[in-house]
Amino acid sequence: MMAAIYATLLIAFILDLLGHQRFAVPCLFISLALCVLLFLWEIYSPVYGFRMPWLQVEGAPLSAPFAG
Amino acid sequence: MSEIKRVVTLTASALNGLFLCSMLLALAIVLTTAMVLQYGFGEIPCPLCLLQRFAIFGCCFGLIKQLHSDSESGTGISLIFSILLLVISARQTLLDIVPRPGHEYVGSAIFGIHMPVWSIFIALALLMGLAVRLTLFGGLRSAPAVESHLFRRSAQGLAIYVVFICSVNFLSVIVQCGIDQCHTSEYRLLH
Repeated sequence: MMAAIYATLLIAFILDLLGHQRFAVPCLFISLALCVLLFLWEIYSPVYGFRMPWLQVEGAPLSAPFAG
Repeated sequence: MSEIKRVVTLTASALNGLFLCSMLLALAIVLTTAMVLQYGFGEIPCPLCLLQRFAIFGCCFGLIKQLHSDSESGTGISLIFSILLLVISARQTLLDIVPRPGHEYVGSAIFGIHMPVWSIFIALALLMGLAVRLTLFGGLRSAPAVESHLFRRSAQGLAIYVVFICSVNFLSVIVQCGIDQCHTSEYRLLH
């Protein structure tokens, strides 16, 4: 997948360099779509999903006005 | 009066080109540094690091397009990829910010700051740079292109260099990941 992302990016650069902007930009956006897919796949955990439960805030006991 | 206006327009156009070239040069330096760290110091990039590099290359694409175009579409592309860079680097920072088995910052720190955090700074600097450019030169739709031969050759040389390091990165990704999932432990094709 990563190879496909970089391959489409390189094709977009080469097309742009050769003056074929009409094809270069769609190629770039294909690589962008692949990148977003891979990013979501990389950060997804079968256990946590997209959540980040290791980020915990240790709150001090609430004082009376906020304790409800 | 029209002569003064013409001089002002030409100066603004030249400054606009210089601004874009400076941003492109800064990104080329960042990408080159990442490659030096990879090949010189043996720091194999993680998948999210490679996606951050990809986002920086996307920004370069937008800047190169903007250098040769009168419309602002190149700046739009750079903005999209700057936001992508910010999202990926922020997520990776949040992933590694609490050290636990199997999750710590990849690579060594530079000036005490790890690479994903540097990526956040780079993304914010890019967003700020693009916003400043739009503020200063965004209304120059009818501005003539800079005709300086030296400037054109410098911009073209910079663009070719970026394409060159993109092709090196492509080959590096093939060697590291093959066509499968990437790992930070080894170059797949060398084992």
